[in-house]
Amino acid sequence: MAKVQVLNVAVLDNPSPFGNPFQFEITFECMEDLPEDLEWKIIYVGSAESEEYDQTLDSVLVGPVPAGRHMFVFQADAPNTALIPESDAVGVTVVLITCTYRGQEFIRIGYYVNNEYTDAELRENPPLKPDYGQLQRNILASNPRVTRFHINWEGCSEKMEDSENVDPAPNAMLPPSCPPGKAPPLGLMPDNSMDCL
Amino acid sequence: MKLLKPSWVSQNGKPIFSVDIHPDGTKFATGGQGEDSGKVVIWNMAPVLREEDEKNENVPKMLCQMDNHLACVNCVRWSNNGLYLASGGDDKLVMVWKKAAFIGPSTVFGSSSKLANVEQWRCVTILRNHTGDVMDVAWSPHDVWLASCSVDNTIVIWNARKFPEIVTTLKGHTGLVKGLTWDPVGKYIASQADDHSLKVWRTMDWQLDTNITKPFSECGGTTHVLRLSWSPDGQYLVSAHAMNNSGPTAQIIERDGWKTNMDFVGHRKAVTVVKFNPKIFKKKQRNGSAPKPSCPYCCCAVGSKDRSLSVWLTSLKRPLVVIHDLFDKSIMDITWTLNGLGMLVCSMDGTVAFLDFSQDELGDPLNEEEKNTIHQNIYGKSLAITMETQLSSTIIENPEMLKYQQERPGAQTTSRVQGAGLENQTPKLTNVVNGESLEDIRKNLLKKQVETRTADGRRRITPLCIAQLDTGGTPALNSVGQKSNLLLTAASKIEPMKALDSRFTERSKATPGVTSAPVNLGISPLDSSDSEDKVQKAPPLAKRKTDMEAAEVVEKRKKGRPRKDAKMMMAVPQAYPQVQDGSPKPGQTSPTISLKLHAPAIQKSFTIQVGTDPVMYLEVENDASVVAGARISQLRCSRDGREWDTVLPSRIATATGSSDVVAVACEDRTLSVFSACGRRLLPSIMLPAPISTLHCSAFFVMALTASATLSVWDVQKQVALVKNESLHSILSGSDATVSHSMLTDQGVPVVGLSNGKSFCFSSAMETWNLIVDKQDALVQCADFRNCLSSQDALGSTGPLAATQGRTLSASRLASRLSSAPHHLQQGMTLAFLEQQLSSALVLRSTAEYRHWLLIYTRFIVNEGYEQRLRELCKDLLGPVHKSSSSSWEPTVLGLRKRDVLAEVLPVIGQNLRFQRLFTEYQDQLEIVRLK
Repeated sequence: MAKVQVLNVAVLDNPSPFGNPFQFEITFECMEDLPEDLEWKIIYVGSAESEEYDQTLDSVLVGPVPAGRHMFVFQADAPNTALIPESDAVGVTVVLITCTYRGQEFIRIGYYVNNEYTDAELRENPPLKPDYGQLQRNILASNPRVTRFHINWEGCSEKMEDSENVDPAPNAMLPPSCPPGKAPPLGLMPDNSMDCL
Repeated sequence: MKLLKPSWVSQNGKPIFSVDIHPDGTKFATGGQGEDSGKVVIWNMAPVLREEDEKNENVPKMLCQMDNHLACVNCVRWSNNGLYLASGGDDKLVMVWKKAAFIGPSTVFGSSSKLANVEQWRCVTILRNHTGDVMDVAWSPHDVWLASCSVDNTIVIWNARKFPEIVTTLKGHTGLVKGLTWDPVGKYIASQADDHSLKVWRTMDWQLDTNITKPFSECGGTTHVLRLSWSPDGQYLVSAHAMNNSGPTAQIIERDGWKTNMDFVGHRKAVTVVKFNPKIFKKKQRNGSAPKPSCPYCCCAVGSKDRSLSVWLTSLKRPLVVIHDLFDKSIMDITWTLNGLGMLVCSMDGTVAFLDFSQDELGDPLNEEEKNTIHQNIYGKSLAITMETQLSSTIIENPEMLKYQQERPGAQTTSRVQGAGLENQTPKLTNVVNGESLEDIRKNLLKKQVETRTADGRRRITPLCIAQLDTGGTPALNSVGQKSNLLLTAASKIEPMKALDSRFTERSKATPGVTSAPVNLGISPLDSSDSEDKVQKAPPLAKRKTDMEAAEVVEKRKKGRPRKDAKMMMAVPQAYPQVQDGSPKPGQTSPTISLKLHAPAIQKSFTIQVGTDPVMYLEVENDASVVAGARISQLRCSRDGREWDTVLPSRIATATGSSDVVAVACEDRTLSVFSACGRRLLPSIMLPAPISTLHCSAFFVMALTASATLSVWDVQKQVALVKNESLHSILSGSDATVSHSMLTDQGVPVVGLSNGKSFCFSSAMETWNLIVDKQDALVQCADFRNCLSSQDALGSTGPLAATQGRTLSASRLASRLSSAPHHLQQGMTLAFLEQQLSSALVLRSTAEYRHWLLIYTRFIVNEGYEQRLRELCKDLLGPVHKSSSSSWEPTVLGLRKRDVLAEVLPVIGQNLRFQRLFTEYQDQLEIVRLK
């Protein structure tokens, strides 16, 4: 059983202009005092096509963590636009929050992110070169995808034999099941965005 | 019989593999397949039992769901005390769950369901050892062990007191092990596997006792589970899938000789699950008819792959009821309510059914006492059963717990109302931290949180603690309980005893000071609810104060916890005008500062068990109420159903008792002694320093203070046996500390040190005497096995044995390995036996003195130590002719020496070499007797 349970992640400052920093308020609970820090990362998936456009926006150590319920705000700068393929700038992508303990990832939280122009004119005829100044980022906060992994909390990062401890593929996040009544508030989701997921 | 299929008990239509009703009957758990994981759900029982509760929207149906298992959950089982839930699944794991007391409702983050969990069950341990799917788990009687079986062909016995410790792994099955059941008496555990066998294992040495294969030879491995069951009287074991004449049966195996002559026949497909009703029944006496003496009988439910369920009474040849087509798929698990009248059945088709029987149908359930009588008649008074008699007191507990449970929902609804104010997407955190709402904290969290850079330049955030866990409480309570229980050292080695202890500490934890109003407090001039209000109001005041002083320190403290924080200490006197001046600072008041012993921390409340026969419980509640500004602590004692309570003006640090007295040491260094019925026997004794350890035995009270001085009083005669004796002589020159202490029935104090040495203080000689040294070479090498008679082989019981513990048996083992020359070993054994004899003498332990004297005599007779033998006999006989100058004592430790001699003489007669000596003393003894 994981010693750390994520109880909630609140997405702050959402929706916001593309250039604003990401802010996640993370609440977690720890079963017993942790001798080492937790490492949290925010990864921005630049392109659905390939992992090579993944950007680690920031990584931060969190500690000391005594037994109890804790919260903190994880703020990270917006992605470097130069590293995003132009064709993928607008549309749906993913932002991931991961947490590792002793080098082992035990939770991965994924959010769908929709980047779109607020201006109706731009939306109709998007410029060839994305205008990041006009883009709005909307994180689908109500539908996080959480994947938990069993890790060895006692030992160091030596891998356990169990197959469930094998690190997941970075894009292991499953597509959101959109029940009819609970359609995400960001309009249509392009079919091709599913490919990466 | 009433039958109900509650449609709302569903895991989204996925198969439900297991169901188990909580011992208190208020909830039940199901386990099965989840979305892409295993799923455990805890349900409220009330909507199943009562239609109005089912319709009432305010009565929650689902209490908690846990998605933590990575794959399908095959089994869920509540511990007998109801505190834990164990679950095992295809992910090879066993998880043990415990209810978290402090958290309100919340959702599982990231789960698709938006239903809030009404109760929070937290996984406290994860047990990893199996290399295949876990099929069944079972708690032993009294929750000493947890057993799990798996498709890896093994059964693992876990130490339920010390997870994740493994007691043993039972290997022997050659197929998937699919069912487990414990013998209710605690002597066996039985397992059934796909290898066409049912195996019974002994719990004493964890070896295979019997292997039953015949009824299973025709079976194919076609059932998902093979849940077998043991009858509550322990007489019958009923297997799952067995075959008789090519027909599926449930085989009945008699405990007596493991005979397999009977079976339950009639199901058309393999039997998957058998479950005995926990009650034993006797025939309902009808009005008018003459009361016939009838045999008590058991009731058993059998579920099968043929989707039907049969219920049998062992007094009837045919089933009581058979229900066909109850489900669309195989029955997977059955569970009875503790009262024996309700039953839940679950199926692979994802539904459950509830059956409600009446006493007219099943009969009159025997009460616990009658059940125990049956057990005692069959098995004698085994430990497990005496434990069960003690457990019957838990039935008295239940209404209290029930009351507590009823109070809780109230608290929860209020918190739910507050929670509604928060946005929907966040879990409903309702904590108010130091007067500041969570909302306010969250607004400024980014600015407030402490962020630093590590040496390598990385960002490091210190998270804000918004709630503390209550996980640490139990061990601390336990340790104190054990410390004051040291009188029971011998007994505490027996596992089930600990089980009881821990239950009681748990219970005391479960009743926080606020909820248990001291209604019995006779002298309270105030209305008790009034004083309760004060207790409740005061802490927030203190909290707000602290908040202004330290905005950064944001911690929610559980009400009623001992406040360790210095700032809190400062704030507290504001609320309570009376300042406690006697806060224990070990060593400060003691004259000899060099020696310090650990003084127990003051706890809000604790419960300890004293003595075994009769069992006595001491419950202490510090600051139980506030009367005219003064805080009153309460001591409650219950024994044999008789209770008394008393109040003390200072907080109680430690309490203990014997069959005759109860002693209590307070924070203000006073020691109070009460009679068995609660009468104060002495005015408070002022101790020279805070108490470290307190013991009682008969009318003797022993106090070990933090400044390492020892006192022993005889309360009956009101004299001091040991007066402020310093431990200097035994502690000096080494860095050893006091690890345990005890007081014998004769009032001899014993102090054990961390270096393995134990000393007792002889009040006659005024000396510390070494009675045990674990490093002593003599202990290691002494070999007197051939001097032990069959009745001695079990060893002696008494203070000496209690102090020496297992070293002795270990020494016997060691002696087998040692290759010391015979004459050396002879000398060592002689020295060791003499040491034992003198130790028993100084401990004033009559039985042990006699025990060792006989062994010693046998040894010197065997080895031919004539001088010693002669001296021994001479002392035992004494002068034959009376003379005034003789200082001979005719008795030793209450034994008449000449009687002892008469007992020793036959031993001497066994060696022909001592024929003369034998005749000599025999004649003299005869002369003395004739006089």
